[in-house]
Amino acid sequence: MDEERVLIVMTSGTDTPRRCATPFFMATLAAAMDYEVDMFFTIDGAQLLVKGAADKVFPKEGGRAAGGYLQDALDAGVRFKACTASMELHGLKKEDLIDGVEMVGGASMWEMADAAKIVVSF
Amino acid sequence: MATIKGCELPDDLYYLIKKHVWAKEIEGGDVRVGMTAPAIKLAGGKFIAVTPKRKAIGQNLVQGKSMATVESSKFVGPVPAPVSGVLTKVNDAVAENPDLAVSDPYGEGWIAEITPSDWEGEKGELAHGTEGLEAYRVQLESDGVDCSS
Repeated sequence: MDEERVLIVMTSGTDTPRRCATPFFMATLAAAMDYEVDMFFTIDGAQLLVKGAADKVFPKEGGRAAGGYLQDALDAGVRFKACTASMELHGLKKEDLIDGVEMVGGASMWEMADAAKIVVSF
Repeated sequence: MATIKGCELPDDLYYLIKKHVWAKEIEGGDVRVGMTAPAIKLAGGKFIAVTPKRKAIGQNLVQGKSMATVESSKFVGPVPAPVSGVLTKVNDAVAENPDLAVSDPYGEGWIAEITPSDWEGEKGELAHGTEGLEAYRVQLESDGVDCSS
C-alpha cells in the first residue's frame, strides 16, 4: 500500500512568530507517523522560506527559532512547496529561498489536496 | 545492569543501537520493545507525549520503521521497531503517562509487544551481551552522548 499523504497549508509568516513553530512540529510528527507530508507555503508562509528568515523568528521569547523546527521537518523528509503567486506577492525569487524548496503554482495545491488523506491549514 | 556513559543498559536485552531501542523475549514467543536510556537523553530527558501506534495493532511492522512517536520540547520523532513482525499490543500506561518512559524505560515504560516474523534471524543482528554493550559504548562515544551530563 502506498503511504498515506497529508498536506499542510502554511499561511503564517514572519509577522506572526507564535504561529511559526507548530506547523513544522506537526509536519515532523506526521512524517514520524509514516505519513508522506507536503507543506505548501502560501500568502505569508513563503516569507519563512527565505534564506535565514526563519532563524530570526522566535515563536517563544528566549526559545528556539522557527528555523530549528523548519529544519526538523526537512530532515524528517517533509517536502516544501512554495506558491509562486505568493513569491511574487513578496517580491521573492527562487534563489532567495533555502535549498530543497520546489516552486509550484496554485493548481498544485489542489492536486496535493486531492491526493492527501488529510489537509490542515495554519 | 550495565552503566555506560552514565546510561543504564540492562545486559539481558537486545538492542538496535542506531535507533536506540531494545527488545526482550517474553512468554509465548512475543517480544516486548521500548526505548533505551540514551534515546531519552537525546530527546531532551522529558517527554510531553509518547504515542504508540495503536492503529497498527494487528498489522505488520518492519524493523526500523515507526511503532510510536515521542514529543518533547526539544525533539519530535519516531520510535523505530527493533524487530519485524505483527504489532500485538501497545502500552496504554505510557501513552497516559509519558514520564514512565523516562523513569522506567525497561520496565513500566515499555512501548509495545510484537510477534516477530523472524526473531531467530533478526536477533543475531541486534547488539546483545558483553559484546553488544561494548558496541553500544562505542556508538555513544562517537555520538557524544552521556546520560549523566
